[in-house]
Amino acid sequence: MTATAAGTLWYAYAVVAAGAEGSAPLGDELELVRVGDVAVVATRVPASDFGEDVLPARLNDRAWLERAVQEHDRVVQRLLASGAVVPLRFGSLHRDRRALEEFLESRRDEFATALDRVRGHVELGLKVWLAKDGGGDDAPPPASGRDYLERQRAARDRRAAASAEVGERLRDVHERLLRVADAGVLNRPQARELTGDPRPMVMNAAYLVPAGDAALAAEVDRLADEHPQLAFELTGPWAPYNFVEAASA
Amino acid sequence: VSGYDVTSRPSVPGTASSGPAPAQLADVLERVLDKGIVIAGDIRINLLDIELLTIRLRLLIASADKAREMGIAWWDGDPFLSGRRDGGALEDRIKRLEAKAGLEDAQER
Repeated sequence: MTATAAGTLWYAYAVVAAGAEGSAPLGDELELVRVGDVAVVATRVPASDFGEDVLPARLNDRAWLERAVQEHDRVVQRLLASGAVVPLRFGSLHRDRRALEEFLESRRDEFATALDRVRGHVELGLKVWLAKDGGGDDAPPPASGRDYLERQRAARDRRAAASAEVGERLRDVHERLLRVADAGVLNRPQARELTGDPRPMVMNAAYLVPAGDAALAAEVDRLADEHPQLAFELTGPWAPYNFVEAASA
Repeated sequence: VSGYDVTSRPSVPGTASSGPAPAQLADVLERVLDKGIVIAGDIRINLLDIELLTIRLRLLIASADKAREMGIAWWDGDPFLSGRRDGGALEDRIKRLEAKAGLEDAQER
């Protein structure tokens, strides 16, 4: 393939405003490809890692993938420190600088709009966990089979009621946070296999807020006081990964 | 306790959460693999590969029934709350990707 002939490919991390590099040197491994007032930040990667023939295997190598993904975020995060960033999804690969320029040219207006939208903003992540599992652990052992079944049924009813109640509380949480954010997105809660946390995650959200603004964190504090049965965890600030996808809509 | 400093990274300890802070890796994976603008590069095959991989990550996520039981899917069926994400079956997603042949994934918001 011509794409791999040179032995290197251009991996794009993000789009930034051209000129932003002036305030923060990119470092020698990163390349800036400019078209007009926007620029793509990219790096050259070996085709032996990212070529079409090897990438599928790499993607299924969890250790490799985790390293690559962390590196992607590290670069994007560094760019966030010096201005507006529109993160690209993992694996944006072009064969050379010219191809990258053509790509940027073709979507230049869309990226300029996306940059305007997120400029001066960061993304905060909010994960909410059930702080405890609903008790019943210290009850005496069941006296009979029927007792056991009745307890099972009662436990099931309790769980259903608790679940409805949790749903109500989380709606309230999200609606209140939307009032102190510019935008908000709900994602699927992460599985325990991913989080390594024994508690069930019941909410996984992201909010777009002005950089340096503490209103959302303050509201989370208040919500945490009001809902002792829920555990709140804020993460970030992140580049606005969750708020660039619909930029062209 | 609202000493939240939005200029620092990584991972702010939850202002009110107790217990160990979960690894940030899951958050990074979710964002870098599943968010951000999708662009079609010269290596088109990898878009689908990545999509398959994110599907695998999703499969690690609690099954729908279990999710409902735990109150996790509380916004399902509420278009306002569910927003633009989480729109439907994996099948649709794959079809859409194939149809677009790696073009930008600019669905409804």
